[in-house]
Amino acid sequence: MPELATRARAAPVLAIDSLSYAYPHASRPTSGMLSPQGGSNIDLVLRNVSLTLAEGEFALVAGRSACGKTTLLRAACGLVPHFHGGEIVGSVHVAGIDAIAHGPGDLAAVVGYVAQDPETQIVSTTVAAEIALPLEMRGDPPASRARAVEEVALALAIPHLLSRTVDTLSGGELQRVALAAALVTRPRLVLLDEPTSQLDPVAGDELIWLLRRLNEEWGVTILLAEHRLERCLAAADRVIAMDAGAIAFDGSPRDFLAWAQQADTALETPAARLFSLADIDPLPTGVRDARAILRKERVGGPPTETCEPARPAPPPSDRRGFRSGDPRPSPGAMAAEARDLWVELDDGVSRGDVLRGVAFKIARGERVALMGRNGAGKSTLLRALAGLAEPARGKAKAPGGIALLTQNPSDYLVRERIGDELPGDAGLAALQIVGLENVVDADPRDLSGGERQRLALAIALAGRMDGDELPGLVALDEPTRGMDRARKRDLEEMIEGLAASGAGVVVATHDVEFAAVFAQRVVLLGDGVVIADGAAAEILSGGWYFATEVARILDLPGVITAEQGAASLDPEGRR
Amino acid sequence: MRSPFAYTPRSGPLQAASPGAAVAYLGALVAVAFLYSSPLVLAAAGVAAVLAGYLAGAGSAVRVALRMGLTLALLVVAVNALVVDRGETVLLRLGELPLLGRVDITAEALAAGAVIGLRAAVTMVGFAVYSACVDPDRVLRALRPVAGRSALTATLISRLVPVAAADAARLRDAGRLRGPAAAPLGRAALARRLLTGSLDRAVDVAATLELRGYALEPPRRPRLMESFGGPRYPKSFRERSRYDRRFYAVGALVLIAAIAGKLLGADGVHAYPTIEVGVPPATVALSALVVLSGLAPMRRKAPRTRHA
Repeated sequence: MPELATRARAAPVLAIDSLSYAYPHASRPTSGMLSPQGGSNIDLVLRNVSLTLAEGEFALVAGRSACGKTTLLRAACGLVPHFHGGEIVGSVHVAGIDAIAHGPGDLAAVVGYVAQDPETQIVSTTVAAEIALPLEMRGDPPASRARAVEEVALALAIPHLLSRTVDTLSGGELQRVALAAALVTRPRLVLLDEPTSQLDPVAGDELIWLLRRLNEEWGVTILLAEHRLERCLAAADRVIAMDAGAIAFDGSPRDFLAWAQQADTALETPAARLFSLADIDPLPTGVRDARAILRKERVGGPPTETCEPARPAPPPSDRRGFRSGDPRPSPGAMAAEARDLWVELDDGVSRGDVLRGVAFKIARGERVALMGRNGAGKSTLLRALAGLAEPARGKAKAPGGIALLTQNPSDYLVRERIGDELPGDAGLAALQIVGLENVVDADPRDLSGGERQRLALAIALAGRMDGDELPGLVALDEPTRGMDRARKRDLEEMIEGLAASGAGVVVATHDVEFAAVFAQRVVLLGDGVVIADGAAAEILSGGWYFATEVARILDLPGVITAEQGAASLDPEGRR
Repeated sequence: MRSPFAYTPRSGPLQAASPGAAVAYLGALVAVAFLYSSPLVLAAAGVAAVLAGYLAGAGSAVRVALRMGLTLALLVVAVNALVVDRGETVLLRLGELPLLGRVDITAEALAAGAVIGLRAAVTMVGFAVYSACVDPDRVLRALRPVAGRSALTATLISRLVPVAAADAARLRDAGRLRGPAAAPLGRAALARRLLTGSLDRAVDVAATLELRGYALEPPRRPRLMESFGGPRYPKSFRERSRYDRRFYAVGALVLIAAIAGKLLGADGVHAYPTIEVGVPPATVALSALVVLSGLAPMRRKAPRTRHA
């Protein structure tokens, strides 16, 4: 071990050379051995990856779903191949330690790993014990452990959680505890796999800037895989884009945006798209950068500056966000209603009101985004509408029936054949609605993430349709978790199709950019109370955290998408 | 929904005590229940366990354990009365019953069943107080240097049980949300899905343990590290509590008194052939001592401090 420690201090933090990898049981077209180049083997998850990270870098790994981001992080912490098995060629050195020769246990002192789901990376009962565990495994004495736990808790602003049990924490708190456990050994490299996917915009932004602070003050090297690039691009020094297991781009955030504009527009951030549509150079890495460029270029920008928007905001919409051309529900066709709704739940410590006098209506054909921070009551409201949560007072009803898709679509899939999940003509009709009628004999586990979501929705819809008519309300709870932008576009199309067929669609989401695209109306919950209810353009341009990136850049009422933003700017692009 | 038996950190003496001291104290109460058949001593052990639980703030765990324990006790009394044909005081002749043959309900069998049931109830309350008040992380930490593999297994189980319970609740919810034309969830499908899900979860938890360094050799003792030139740390950081002595002393006192009482004939109870209950002064004294031991988790009143 002392020899390993000496090597750790001298070498680059991460050095990957010609790495190719296939998970066990992956089918191979020809021979069993991997070619070092990884060339034509279609089952490789990583293909000839070479990468070096220097001390103190903050690198962002971008790419579509299943492009190899998670596997790259697993290789960097030794889980691949030590834990997952499979075939590997090439080399991985973490702080000078050969990660292929040594296991993750040996690497634990130099690398910390935070996975996407905090629920599965917590192994102790109390927060203090969870954070102290890696030190305990290393044999650190109690006094040293106590000091390290105290320091990391202070750094992550969680000292008040130390005496709590982990089953009483929210998702955001759990994610911070997992990060604390990864940081407590003062590793030189921290790997994070979509750490903000379950967090609301407030907690997500806080986590990214916390990482930046740790990177600057502690000198920790960060390798972060994320889909919501607009959230973290401004904090990163470098972006590594992956495509089909290979590195497609490696450079600065600004160069990455220029590359994405040409190579894969699904990786563009809203700010970059705004500038691209408005033909403004250079492309901005974040809100601050965009505002600075607009100021310098003297383009119509935020009202705080001297510039005024050169074009008026998009056509005004009514309170529910309907514009000319939008399908309007027939008068009185109500999909769901909550009246003075109070719901009390036990959070593991005490009972408390999660919803406090909520009142709102959704019409058939309406597309509504239900937003708010973690614990605001979004899921509870949907559960109350579906009859899963008993109101303590008031009423929640969906007169035409409700199909609710909860956060994890896999919970609906319990059989090994799609046809067994949805038997008969009614089952087939539900599959036709979601476009899966041709895969009746397939195993649900063989479907892609998006297809699984559609199948789960079909299971929720089955038998609730009156002929071709959908139930009054279709509710989706956090459907975009871990989704890349291409899959979000598919989901958006599905939502539009459901609404066009006459169902009211309500989506509980933290994803502001997604809400801006699909929703006509946004209902914002805060601590169990409706704190804002109005047109999406109005709500998502009127704040800071629950506002799109374009809205934060331009600060113009009603302007929330890149297309609207570009239209609001001067046609010449300059003033 | 959190289990009432789940550990909840509180600032009471029992929670602050080291796992060894808490186990010694609660174990002594359970040991008394196993050593004695005297209803008075058993009731005293039960009262002590209930008192200890309430004083430690685990009232809900005690209430649930009492409900479960007394239900079990009633069941034991009924079963014992039906299957045991010893005893001379026949209360009821049920005649020939299928499988059981000739059944006579005797007062002795009822009394013997009540003793066994009471013993089970006291044990359940004792374990409920342990579960709600003793930090499982500290127990595992104490266990790890002496039995690494067992500690690993216990860690996996202690984490997977609540995760599996949460998974089951989610699956049941999803089952209720299935459309009427979808195949019903069904117990077999639910069980199979839970099992495969638990295996996936176990793999994730095992990966986390691997990353935390669980595969490394068992942790070395700090004093050993100091002797090999490692940094020195104040002794106050050894994981002890100022209440440890209290619980060790009370546990030892109760156990010694119970053993001595047993040797001196304080357990003068026989169910068969006829019920004999002797209540000598030693039994009364032991029962009083056991009840008083239930006050051990009481917090000492803080001295008044005058603020400037």
